[in-house]
Order: sequence, then C-alpha cells, then structure tokens
Amino acid sequence: MTKKKGKLTKALDHLIHDDPFSKGVAFCPGCGLELLLRIIPRVLGNDIVITGTPSCSAPVLLGQNNRSWHTLSYFGTLMTGAAANATGLVRYYRKAGIENTVVCFNGDGTAADIGFGNLSGAAERNEPFIYICYDNEGYMNTGIQKSGTTPFGAVTSTTPHGARALRGKNVRRMNLGLQMAMHKISYAATATLSDLDDLAKKLKKAKEMKTQGFCFLHILAPCPTGWGLAPDHTIEACRRAVKTNYFPLWEAINGRIRMTRIVKKPKPVETYTRLMKKFAHLSQADLGILQDDIDYEYCVLGGLSVLESECRLALSDED
Amino acid sequence: MASNKYFKHEGPWSDANDPLMCSDTGDWRTKRPVLDKHKCIFCGFCALYCPIQIVEMKGQTHFEADLSFCKGCGICAKECPKDAIVMISEGNFKK
Ligand SMILES: Cc1ncc(C[n+]2csc(CCOP(=O)(O)OP(=O)(O)O)c2C)c(N)n1
Ligand code: SF4
Ligand code: SF4
Ligand code: SF4
Repeated sequence: MTKKKGKLTKALDHLIHDDPFSKGVAFCPGCGLELLLRIIPRVLGNDIVITGTPSCSAPVLLGQNNRSWHTLSYFGTLMTGAAANATGLVRYYRKAGIENTVVCFNGDGTAADIGFGNLSGAAERNEPFIYICYDNEGYMNTGIQKSGTTPFGAVTSTTPHGARALRGKNVRRMNLGLQMAMHKISYAATATLSDLDDLAKKLKKAKEMKTQGFCFLHILAPCPTGWGLAPDHTIEACRRAVKTNYFPLWEAINGRIRMTRIVKKPKPVETYTRLMKKFAHLSQADLGILQDDIDYEYCVLGGLSVLESECRLALSDED
Repeated sequence: MASNKYFKHEGPWSDANDPLMCSDTGDWRTKRPVLDKHKCIFCGFCALYCPIQIVEMKGQTHFEADLSFCKGCGICAKECPKDAIVMISEGNFKK
C-alpha cells in the first residue's frame, strides 16, 4: 500500500475525541447543527455537561422512549430559563468541588428571543460557563418561524412572501454576537462550519477562558430544510457567508474585539443569498437593504476593533 | 456508559446505560457517494465535513463512507477538491 501525496487537512487534528452520538440520528440530511453537535465533544472531549432547550437539538440530546442517542451528560431546560438553569448547574458543581465544563447549547430562538433576558443576566454576572448559540436564523423545530436573528428579506412561515405585498422579514436582524461582546464577558466569538480550524480553536479557547467567566459562541449553522438550501451546500453557504461579510469571524476578550479573519475583497451578498430559496424573491432594492445592513454591521465591528485602541490613545493624550 | 459521568440518566426519561438508539438513516438516501480512488489525494475534507462523521480513514490511502448511515446529503462530494466523489442514484444499485 503506497502512501498518497497530499496532506491531511490540519482541522482533522482537532477531532481527537470519540463521537459520543449514535451514527443514525434523525437530523435532516446536510443539517449544519448535526455537524456542529458531533464536533463539539470531538474537540472538547466527552467529559462535558450539555444543557439546552426545546429545539431541533433537543429530541436528540434529550433522548426518546427511555433510550438515548448519545453518551454525554445532558440536562434539558425550558426555553425561558436556559442560562439561569446553567448558572444553577455550574454553582452546584463549584460547591461540590467538581471541575467540569458546562455547555449551554441553544438555538437562536432561545438565545436571541425567548431566553435572551436570562442570557443577558448570566453574561452580566460573568457566570463561568460556555453558552453556544447555533444560529439557523429561525425557530426550525416548530416549523420555521422567524426569530431575532432572521435576516432582512428572509422568508419564514411567519414572514411569508406573496399576497398583500409581503416580501419576507421586513426588519433587519439583531446582531447577537456583538450584543454579547458588549456585555464585556470573558470571551465572545463568532464561528461557522466552513472554517472548522477556527471553530475548534475558539471552542478550546472558551474551555480555557470559562474559568474566568462567561464565554459565548455565536455559530452560524445552516438549515437546508428551513432555508431552501440544497443539502450538499451547507458548508458552501457558510463559506460564502464569511466571504461576503454576511457573517464575519471575530473574537472579543473582555469586550475587546479582534477580527480572526479579514476578507480582503468581500463579495456582494448575492453570492450568498442566491444559494437559497428563502431569498429567491428579493428585488435589487431588497438586496440593497440587506447589503447595506451587512456593511453597517461590519463597519460597526471594524470600527469597534480599531477605534477602541485609538480612542484610548486620544484619551491618554489629553492633559 | 463510561463517558456519562455526571448523571445516572440523561434527561427525565432516557438512559444512556442502555444501548443507544440508532435509526437506519442509510435508508433515507436517494443518492450514494461513490469514490474514485485514483483521483483521491487523501486530504480528508470529506471526513471533516460529513455531518454524520461516518467517513472513515482506510489505511493511508483513502476514505470510505459508512453506507448504513450515510444520508446522501452530498456534502463530501461537493467539498472534495478533486471531484473524486460522485453522487449516484440509489436505483443503480438496487435490483
Ligand atoms: C417558552 C416556550 N415557547 C415556545 C415553545 C415551543 N418551541 C419548542 S421548540 C421551539 C423552537 C426553538 O427554536 P430555536 O431555539 O431557534 O431552535 P431550532 O428549532 O431552530 O433548532 C419552540 C418555539 C417552548 N418550548 N417554550
Ligand atoms: S429543520 Fe433544519 S436545523 Fe432542524 S434538523 Fe432539519 S436541517 Fe437541521
Ligand atoms: S475530499 Fe476527495 S480527495 Fe480529499 S480525501 Fe476525500 S475523496 Fe479524497
Ligand atoms: S453523502 Fe453526506 S452523509 Fe453521506 S458520507 Fe457524504 S457527507 Fe456523509
């Protein structure tokens, strides 16, 4: 047997632990969430406690009919109180003298909307655990309703396109990652599935930093079923989301933002939107609004990362 | 199960001490990934990006999908830099 030339991708080096999930699990074909969920314990190890809420991840994490889909420790909570429950868990382990990693794992419906209040509270208290929001830009498990992170123009079951001049979501998305960074938590970062090396590094960093306080990862995880995306294009969609600055990759330690990947010549947002049906109806004017929103978010992010150090200098200059 | 060291039971009802549940997700597949070993440069992207993590390393030469569970999403074929994997309709394999 001859060894082939070519090099194994270095991202594989992060996947050192076993996959604790059963091989046949009922996520849709091409689901970004499935890849993310299998990768987290492969990177961080199986010695983690996951806690989370009703969502597409819950039927798998919680188990069914007395049986389980995985061997991880999982604690299921309500959508309204995910981060508060995780706080309780973490405090129990601290009091009991048990050192471990608690990962509060939720969709954007919990993180950005229904459980946002107590997420913000846990962040403000800088509670020592990792909160991961897998963002599929909607409430997928209940039939693809829009959430706070659903982008402008996207069709969901509650923001349809069609009669009475309806043309998808008519307001812009909130920027969840940035809002969490502005809580000045120990660690905040964005990541996505096309850049698994970056994602794995951020997971490991969060595991390190969580001893000091709250760590938040905002991870774009495409949903082929809800987005009208071909199942084989899940990774490509992530890649284009980064290349268009639709989903910039950055991290923030104690609120200080640093881009982890700077895209030299960002592509127009159409290169991303044309992959999926949820944007198929957008006119040039609609695309303009979406592009403008992406540019706005990117400039705020870039401005925050650059200006903060400049302003500090200016402050110290004044006598 | 050794790795579930924090709870006796998973959720209120599921128990990881029993054998894990497992669906025949291979039955969902309408297309199957077929590898041309000569084109493969052993880069591992197919294994990395497979959402089910069932593309396994075979020696030091190539990777192979576990067809009992492969859902046929086509990500491995799409992400392969050498187009070494093609998706072929299941009809071609069933008599
Ligand atoms: C307080 C509350 N409201 C509504 C529901 C119903 N519900 C169950 S799953 C779900 C969708 C969750 O969406 P998200 O958190 O984005 O996860 P996804 O389904 O996208 O994976 C909803 C609304 C609930 N369980 N609790
Ligand atoms: S609906 Fe979307 S997020 Fe939910 S399992 Fe299917 S592809 Fe994944
Ligand atoms: S991605 Fe293609 S070239 Fe790379 S290991 Fe897989 S089949 Fe071979
Ligand atoms: S088709 Fe999809 S599920 Fe099957 S091996 Fe390829 S990536 Fe994995």
